[in-house]
Amino acid sequence: MTYVRILAAALAVALVPIAASGQSMTPMRGEVRSFTDAFAVRVFPGNPYDQRIRVEIHVYDQNFQPVDARITPNAFLLAGQASRPVLVVVPFDGATERKVRICTESIPFPSEQTQIRAQICGKFFGHRRF
Amino acid sequence: MKFFRTAIGAAVLVTCIGQTASAATGNVLFNGTITATCTLTVNSNGTMTVSTNLQSLSSHNAGGSAGSVQVDTTGGVSLSVDPVTSTTVPASDVTATTWTPTFASTGAHTIAETGTTTALAAPGTSTVAVNLAGTKGGSNRFSAGNYQATVTLRCE
Repeated sequence: MTYVRILAAALAVALVPIAASGQSMTPMRGEVRSFTDAFAVRVFPGNPYDQRIRVEIHVYDQNFQPVDARITPNAFLLAGQASRPVLVVVPFDGATERKVRICTESIPFPSEQTQIRAQICGKFFGHRRF
Repeated sequence: MKFFRTAIGAAVLVTCIGQTASAATGNVLFNGTITATCTLTVNSNGTMTVSTNLQSLSSHNAGGSAGSVQVDTTGGVSLSVDPVTSTTVPASDVTATTWTPTFASTGAHTIAETGTTTALAAPGTSTVAVNLAGTKGGSNRFSAGNYQATVTLRCE
C-alpha cells in the first residue's frame, strides 16, 4: 500500500507543469481580436541569469520602426531566474489590423569592448472588429 | 451426486469462458501546447584587436575573441544580428569605419559564420559565437584609444 502511495505521489509530481526557468519572453506568437481602437498583449519577460538584470520592452512595426504603444512597465529590474507580466497596449492607428514585434532587451554588461545585447522578439497580429 | 456436482461445476466454467471482466475502463486525455520560445544567455562579451596594418579592428584578429551566447529554443524561430549603430571611438579617430557583425553556431544548430537571418527549425541548445569586425579603407587607420561597439543578437 505504501508503495502505491509513493508511486502515486511520484506520478503527481511528474505531471505538474514544469516552469521553464530560462524563459526570456513568452509568448512569442499571438493573434488578438479587439472591438476597440487598440489591442492588448500580455507578455512575460524572464531573466535566465542568476543575478538581477535590467530589462526593457520595446514595440516595433514590421520594419523595426518604433510603435507608440503603452507598455506597463517598459523598463524594470528583474531578479535572477524570475519573470513578470508586462501589459502592452497597441493602437490600431485607424487600421483594421496591425502586425507588431514586442521585444525584450537585456542591457549589456558594462566595461567590455564588444557588448552583446540580447533581444527576444515576439510577433503579434491584431485584428479590429466593429 | 458426486458426478452431478462435477458436471454442474464444469458447465459453469465453460459458460464463463470468453466473458470479459466487469470492471469499467476509461481513457483520460492529456493535452499540452508549447509555443515557440527562445532564450538568449550571454556567456561572455567579445574582444577586438587591431591588425598589423591598422586597418582592421576585429574579434577575428590574433588575440581577439568572439562573444559567446547560449541559445535555448523549441525551434520555429530565427536568429539574426542588427547592423552596428552604437559605437564609441577615440576622439582622434575621425575617419569612417565599416562595422560588420556576424555569428556562427555549434550544438543543436550548426550555422556557418553569417550575417544574415537564419532559421532555427529544430529544438535544442546551441552556443553562438558573435564576431565583430571594423575595417577602414584607403589610407585611413585606427587610432590609439578605447573602442566599444554593441552588437544586438535577436531571436524572434
